Amino acid sequence: MPGTLWKEFSKGLWKELPPFRLVLGLCPVLAVTKSASTGLGMGMAVIFVLALSNMIISLVRNMIPQKVRIACFIVISASLVVAVELLMQAYAYPLYQSLGIFVPLIVVNCIILGRAEAFAGKNPVLPSLADGLGMGLGYTLSLTFLGAVRELFGAGTLFGAPVMPSAFEPFAFMVEAPGAFVCLGLILASMNYLNAHMARRRGEEEPENPRSGCMACGACSRANSPAQQ
Amino acid sequence: MDIFQLFISAIFVNNIVLAQYLGNCPYLGCSKERGVAFGMGSAVVFVTIMATLFTWLIQTFVLIPFGIEYLQTLAFILVIAALVQFVEMFLKKLIPPLYKSLGIFLPLITTNCCVLGIALLVQRKQYSLGTSLAYALASTLGFMLALLLMSGIRERLDTCRVPKALKGTPIALIMAGLMSLAFMAFRGMAA
Amino acid sequence: MASILRMVAVLSLLCASSGFLLSYLKMTTAGRIEEQVLTYVQGPALAEVFPDAENVPLTERHAFTLPDGRSVTVFPARKDGKLYGVAMENSAPGFGGDISVITGFDASRDALIGIGITTMKETPGIGTQVSDPSFTTQFRGVSLPVALSSGGGSIDAISGATISSTGVVDAVARATEDYETLKEQILSRWQ
Repeated sequence: MPGTLWKEFSKGLWKELPPFRLVLGLCPVLAVTKSASTGLGMGMAVIFVLALSNMIISLVRNMIPQKVRIACFIVISASLVVAVELLMQAYAYPLYQSLGIFVPLIVVNCIILGRAEAFAGKNPVLPSLADGLGMGLGYTLSLTFLGAVRELFGAGTLFGAPVMPSAFEPFAFMVEAPGAFVCLGLILASMNYLNAHMARRRGEEEPENPRSGCMACGACSRANSPAQQ
Repeated sequence: MDIFQLFISAIFVNNIVLAQYLGNCPYLGCSKERGVAFGMGSAVVFVTIMATLFTWLIQTFVLIPFGIEYLQTLAFILVIAALVQFVEMFLKKLIPPLYKSLGIFLPLITTNCCVLGIALLVQRKQYSLGTSLAYALASTLGFMLALLLMSGIRERLDTCRVPKALKGTPIALIMAGLMSLAFMAFRGMAA
Repeated sequence: MASILRMVAVLSLLCASSGFLLSYLKMTTAGRIEEQVLTYVQGPALAEVFPDAENVPLTERHAFTLPDGRSVTVFPARKDGKLYGVAMENSAPGFGGDISVITGFDASRDALIGIGITTMKETPGIGTQVSDPSFTTQFRGVSLPVALSSGGGSIDAISGATISSTGVVDAVARATEDYETLKEQILSRWQ
């Protein structure tokens, strides 16, 4: 049992790393990574919502009628997001200010509904919790990493502390919107390169690059299929 | 506020995708062909305007009078989810040709952060109903513009030799970055 | 029929319980949230405006109503037991969005004591320089009305950030207007 729990937990850290491998939940990834600390804060909020929503959904999964399950998932995750908003305002107000509109927007983050639909709705409580924690942690690490890179080059600091030599001239491009896009693109490309390289060394066939966007996530592709028929 | 300035600001200066980072999933996911991009763009325009109208009414006549503004997120997302369902049923029954072209995009829109994002933004900016609707129209037109430009670029990109690791999403993101850089030139024209 | 009833029952139960839990959470956090907003938004700026106040201007705040129905919160500062200044917040559009400024007025003559920036969305490193002391200290002791040196006043705009600088001066001008309207009321309350 601990083995399977560890498997559910650890897949979110590399194999199915949410933003870089599954390519979902991109808007906050771009928006809140101006610095490492905002990335980290956003990640913590996502861990909270994702782990709890996975747990609650898994607890009530047998009571929810199939037809209204998406509505139920939305109610549960939205309530958790409101709870995060309140707690953040009460205990981490500066973070709440810097994340702005992206705190309430956690509710439309594909990761939350995607995991609910693809995992928590079908699995018992403990694996669902492990899945949520793992995915959330992977998301947090990715956000913090991207935030650190952008902050390092864009402002010459790391978590607010100056680390670059004084001769370093920060390039504002990195902390502006274009820097976010280009940086994320390059990180995705290096992930793809690394994976192809590793697959070659194992003597396997090179994997396809992951497909982009919400289209690939569980909830959307399911919601999409009946309409196409 | 001057309505012309609002449009310039929302379409070019503060473009919803390229400067405000909203709606990136459909921006990258639906920009492979121009037809799909146009369909998605018009579905977003339509739903966002409806959603802004209803969420504005809910905020003004339900949430504020009862002092429960903190439930905003919950109320808005439920309104949007229900609205998308209704729009889908309505179009299916009454305007089948429109449903045919927009239908497959509608279910995707509930989790499009563009819709909820604009509904929340107009509340934070405390716009009146008319200004809110104009802002929703202008922002989604900006979304459509970005989407159409991107799909044009990506159609040409198919015939180019892109390094393997950059194929697909990475090169699209870098393109988006360059486009965003170009849009930064509009800054200062309007706040 | 039974399945529809069940759907309705489950959904209402879910909504009711989440509403109950959230309102409980709201009740327990309400006090802390208000305190946090004041401490983190207005607090630092007020300390910058009135570095030598003997009271805590935050706790003595009072909301006045303008003739046009807007409400303005005024923060009084005392020294040697006497009112020496009042501050209020106002905002004006800058480069990336509204810039909010706390403006402190000298109660004994028509002049500023100083200003402090509360919120802004300016370009990091460029527009954000308006909150640097080198810019804000220029406002100390300036007699009303305040204007940029290009407009015949005494405030030098930051080169490369003219729009942000203008935003700050505009916000100060708006606060000045409110102060002059409310002056009588304000002075009679605390003097």
